[in-house]
Amino acid sequence: MKWRGILQNVSQRPKEISSMARARWRHGGLGQRLRNDISEIGRSAKSYCEHTARTQPTLSDILVTLVEMGFNVDTLPAYAKRSQRMVITAPPVTNQPVTPKALTAGQNRPHPLHIPSHFPEFPDPHTYIKTPTYREPVSDYQVLREKAASHRRDVERALTRFMAKTGETQSLFKDDVSTFPLIAARPFTIPYLTALLPSELEMQQMEETDSLEQDEQMDTENLALHVSTDDSGAEKENASVLQQNPALPGSRNGEESVMDNPYLRPVKKPKIRRKKSLS
Amino acid sequence: WRVEHGSLGFRGLTMFCSILILLCGSSLSLQGFVELTIFPTVANLNRIKLNSKQCRIYRVRINDLEAAFIYNDPTLEVCHSESKQRNLNYFSNAYAAAVSAVDPDAGNGELCIKVPSELWRHVDELKVLKIHINFSLDQPKGGLHFVVPSVEGSMAERGAHVFSCGYQNSTRFWFPCVDSYSELCTWKLEFTVDAAMVAVSNGDLVETVYTHDMRKKTFHYMLTIPTAASNISLAIGPFEILVDPYMHEVTHFCLPQLLPLLKHTTSYLHEVFEFYEEILTCRYPYSCFKTVFIDEAYVEVAAYASMSIFSTNLLHSAMIIDETPLTRRCLAQSLAQQFFGCFISRMSWSDEWVLKGISGYIYGLWMKKTFGVNEYRHWIKEELDKIVAYELKTGGVLLHPIFGGGKEKDNPASHLHFSIKHPHTLSWEYYTMFQCKAHLVMRLIENRISMEFMLQVFNKLLSLASTASSQKFQSHMWSQMLVSTYGFLKSISNVSGKDIQPLIKQWVDQSGVVKFYGSFAFNRKRNVLELEIKQDYTSPGTQKYVGPLKVTVQELDGSFNHTLQIEENSLKHDIPCHSKSRRNKKKKIPLMNGEEVDMDLSAMDADSPLLWIRIDPDMSVLRKVEFEQADFMWQYQLRYERDVVAQQESILALEKFPTPASRLALTDTLEHEHCFYRVRMAACFCLAKIANSMVSTWTGPPAMKSLFTRMFCCKTCPNIVKTNNFMSFQSYFLQKTMPVAMALLRDVHNLCPKEVLTFILDLIKYNDNRKNKFSDNYYRAEMIDALANSVTPAVSVNNEVRTLDNLNPDVRLILEEITRFLNMEKLLPSYRHTITVSCLKAIRVLQKNGHVPSDPALFKSYAEYGHFVDIRIAALEAVVDYTKVDRSYEELQWLLNMIQTDPVPYVRHKILNMLTKNPPFTKNLESPLCNEALVDQLWKLMNSGTSHDWRLRCGAVDLYFTLFGLSRPSCLPLPELGLVLNLKEKKAVLNPTIIPETAAGNQEFSSSQEEEEIDMDTVHDSQAFISHHLNMLERPSTPGKVKVPQSHRRRHEHKKKKKKHRHKHRHRHRHDARERERDREPFAFSSPASGRSARSPSLSD
Repeated sequence: MKWRGILQNVSQRPKEISSMARARWRHGGLGQRLRNDISEIGRSAKSYCEHTARTQPTLSDILVTLVEMGFNVDTLPAYAKRSQRMVITAPPVTNQPVTPKALTAGQNRPHPLHIPSHFPEFPDPHTYIKTPTYREPVSDYQVLREKAASHRRDVERALTRFMAKTGETQSLFKDDVSTFPLIAARPFTIPYLTALLPSELEMQQMEETDSLEQDEQMDTENLALHVSTDDSGAEKENASVLQQNPALPGSRNGEESVMDNPYLRPVKKPKIRRKKSLS
Repeated sequence: WRVEHGSLGFRGLTMFCSILILLCGSSLSLQGFVELTIFPTVANLNRIKLNSKQCRIYRVRINDLEAAFIYNDPTLEVCHSESKQRNLNYFSNAYAAAVSAVDPDAGNGELCIKVPSELWRHVDELKVLKIHINFSLDQPKGGLHFVVPSVEGSMAERGAHVFSCGYQNSTRFWFPCVDSYSELCTWKLEFTVDAAMVAVSNGDLVETVYTHDMRKKTFHYMLTIPTAASNISLAIGPFEILVDPYMHEVTHFCLPQLLPLLKHTTSYLHEVFEFYEEILTCRYPYSCFKTVFIDEAYVEVAAYASMSIFSTNLLHSAMIIDETPLTRRCLAQSLAQQFFGCFISRMSWSDEWVLKGISGYIYGLWMKKTFGVNEYRHWIKEELDKIVAYELKTGGVLLHPIFGGGKEKDNPASHLHFSIKHPHTLSWEYYTMFQCKAHLVMRLIENRISMEFMLQVFNKLLSLASTASSQKFQSHMWSQMLVSTYGFLKSISNVSGKDIQPLIKQWVDQSGVVKFYGSFAFNRKRNVLELEIKQDYTSPGTQKYVGPLKVTVQELDGSFNHTLQIEENSLKHDIPCHSKSRRNKKKKIPLMNGEEVDMDLSAMDADSPLLWIRIDPDMSVLRKVEFEQADFMWQYQLRYERDVVAQQESILALEKFPTPASRLALTDTLEHEHCFYRVRMAACFCLAKIANSMVSTWTGPPAMKSLFTRMFCCKTCPNIVKTNNFMSFQSYFLQKTMPVAMALLRDVHNLCPKEVLTFILDLIKYNDNRKNKFSDNYYRAEMIDALANSVTPAVSVNNEVRTLDNLNPDVRLILEEITRFLNMEKLLPSYRHTITVSCLKAIRVLQKNGHVPSDPALFKSYAEYGHFVDIRIAALEAVVDYTKVDRSYEELQWLLNMIQTDPVPYVRHKILNMLTKNPPFTKNLESPLCNEALVDQLWKLMNSGTSHDWRLRCGAVDLYFTLFGLSRPSCLPLPELGLVLNLKEKKAVLNPTIIPETAAGNQEFSSSQEEEEIDMDTVHDSQAFISHHLNMLERPSTPGKVKVPQSHRRRHEHKKKKKKHRHKHRHRHRHDARERERDREPFAFSSPASGRSARSPSLSD
């Protein structure tokens, strides 16, 4: 704003300068120069003043600056007192646009007693208090069960239908294969594994319920109950018997006797002496 | 020709056995050698007979001298194949003869080894003989079962395994031995297997040694306790090993990946050990014990010396409720048999009942301790009902058959279609019932002599045996390890001083059960209860009972026991009553157990003080009681009698009294939490029946609905079931059962009420198991069963084809559930696929009721090898049912084909069993299925197609009997012989004792072009084989054990053929080869009967 006002004023001076200079004004180059010079004056004056450990530039600082920039300082008073001097008017004061008030959400909290009143007020509550943005959940038991049931049923149906559509199917009706599609029976190579081992889902559930129970039973020293629960972890499946036994009850001297089991003994190397020949 | 003398020829042998098992590629073979050390006990022993089947024997050496040997197995083909005989009488006799021809207890065997003449002097001096037999076994069909899953990887990675199996003494299928329970010897066993495998066998594992190439290892086992060859077993596989944490000498084995289940399943075993050791006051006799869980098991539990082989399907995790007690029972059963059956063996087949009885009895004691008295009594009642039903159906089970002189007329089981002389001729069902009766009789003995004495007797048997077992063979003490009926009874009388002979005579030496009919009248003047007890002892399977009978009368003043003497002619018994009929108001009524209860007496007869009467409340007679008393008495009995058996009996009786009072009594029982859960479950079904009978007067919601709602549904929303919580097993079982029973309800139109169906569908819909500690697979399976129960026959308009459009809307809902469940099973399979099993059953029900087109294709796909065995059985059951209902020849052929080719012995056995239980037709029924080809096919199946599996062969015999009866099937044309004896009935025409010769003789005339071969084959007939051995009886015999089996009168005839014998055996191989060829194409075999009929003159001629 200020720059524009100054430039305007300066540009109103065509009578003072030549036409050529006026053309340069028009092109803006001189204005740029002027702006740079003024900036440089300000900057250098500030530097000088700081150099002499002051905070406010004084006249002498500006003079030194002008001198440094190559001005003839002595001509300055004469220039200022010239006859055709124009007075630069102050830029018209426009109505400052009112910054819109920040949207307040909710009511600001008053300060608690231990905070003196001169401290700034609390910000809007939404900036630091969690506000639910969803609707009140349905807590009616019946509806919940209903929903859970139909949700599960829908998932199951969609899943099985998808599986049926992507694979081979069997049908109970010869004329219609799509209404009740049965995923075709496929034999397993090792059928007992799928039939006996609990599914991953069940394993997970079991662990959950077990951990709940273990929490409850933490105090009791009933280790026997843990035998089954401890072992359910699939990662332990292949752990050797030896490692697990010491934890079990009644095996205080267990380690040695477990070692006695002939099936755990290391396999012997063949003897050097000739063995009885087979057949 | 000389002969060795029964089993006395060599008593006691030390066996050394080494077997090399090769598991590679598809060729499943095994080779090895057996070394037997024999102590001859008689001079003149020059032939040694051993049992061996399937094995190829390369070489036999005795004391390093080559010995000649003959191999002949008459059971390969029981009746000569060219014979046109098709009647079962003939077959059974021939089969029994064939089995006794190789019976080790009679000193026979398939393998006959000639002692080289150089050793005869050696033998006469009773010096030791060492027999060394080299043999191999290639893809055995029976005895050893190989399970080789067809996946990538080495045998161990694939989980391939092999185990020994069989029905009774079947060890001969995998190595030559004296396959008898009475020949004890000590064992050294060696098995060389792939290094990744474990070989589990009897006795102590001494060491495991690598072979020189380090690719295999040899397991050395030593069994120092004298053991019969029949109790030797083997299991080899890539097993996971678990040492029992409580008893380190016990080791458990299971297939890869199942270790967590194994841990849980066996975690209970030590308690069973403790229990048995405590009651028997005897240590477990072997120094170690092994349990092996394998796939495709022959039976669920098989006990062998110091090891038991179980089906892998018994394994379960902690989440499974229903399987847990069943598996524990199996473990306990096998352990009981370790003491009696393995350690103590039997003297002869007729002593089998003692072993089965004792092991069953102590198993019962374990049940009582573990599951409680109620469960025990319920089980006894169940077993009693089973044996009674079976005996009444078939005509009796004889525990201790005595065979006099081998004459067929003395056959103690002439009512049966098989011989009971050998375990291998016995129908499987009969044998199951035999075991059941044995333990019930043992309980009767306990009732007589008290439990302490009983246990003392067992302890005595065991301690004698364990003393004997530590002795050397030469001390002749080993016979103490064999139990005989005589010895057992003697120690009972020694220990207890009581005479139990009448009891033994009644239940052991004689078959049949007692059938009582009871009724009563109350004589007010004399204040006497006049009880009338009649017996039916004329129908088959019954016998007359004479002796004491306990009757319990519950009167107003208390419960009183009376012992009546049942005698020949007395029917009426007067029992004085204690209470005056005047009843004291507000007085409590004392019960049997001392408890005093308040009763509402308004229902009872004002004149009579009797509340209820029970006959033989302790089940101390093997009987069926039909007792008449008024409905209110049954109701009092149900409400106030504390014995679960009495409660069950009254529930059964109340079915006949559909009144509001009965309804109330049943409902109260159902609600009563202290009542035994099985009684409550039974009450459910009875209530459903009563509700159906009362349908026109029934008020209120459908039976049990409000009860179920109150017990298991949410308080706020009664149509929604609570989320599952199965912590209380009693209510779990009730929750499972009630919907199943409710689905049986019918309205006036004989349809399942809509309300009930919606209710069940809601139960399924709202089922929520997320918070449950246990799996709900059995529960969901029962819900599907409930859906199936609700199905009623479709209303069909002139036999239209079933299509989707005319599907009943209710059925559509049911079908939707079934489809979803069945499909979900593919993605998230349930334990033992219980849900699939139920779905298959339900689909069959829908088909049968005409809602869905009847089609076996679905079931056939589920019946294929590779599905879990429970699924296969369920699917096969549906196919069997389809075969019956639709009379489909094609499916029958498919089933028969499966019987011959299926890899799993249990499935083959089960198909036969199911066909017998639900036959496509019976002997009295005309059916298009019954034709000559089928007769020939089945005949061939039992004659030669099943020689590798005793159980299967007996199953085929059972089926043949069900379909065609004992005589010649009616669909066959009469043979020419019919003309000769045609005057009599058809049955008499085919007299089995006459026909073999005549038939054979006849043949030589009629088909001259085959003369040469037929002659040879005739000689191979088992009868001839026996006679051939009779002829060998020329060297002096020791008295006693030698039995003279059968048919003296044919003897002279075979003497003539004697010279041919050598010749005959040489021919044998050629003959076998021919037979094998025929086996391969079972259906190409044309019917000899039809061939004959073409040439035979017609009857009118």
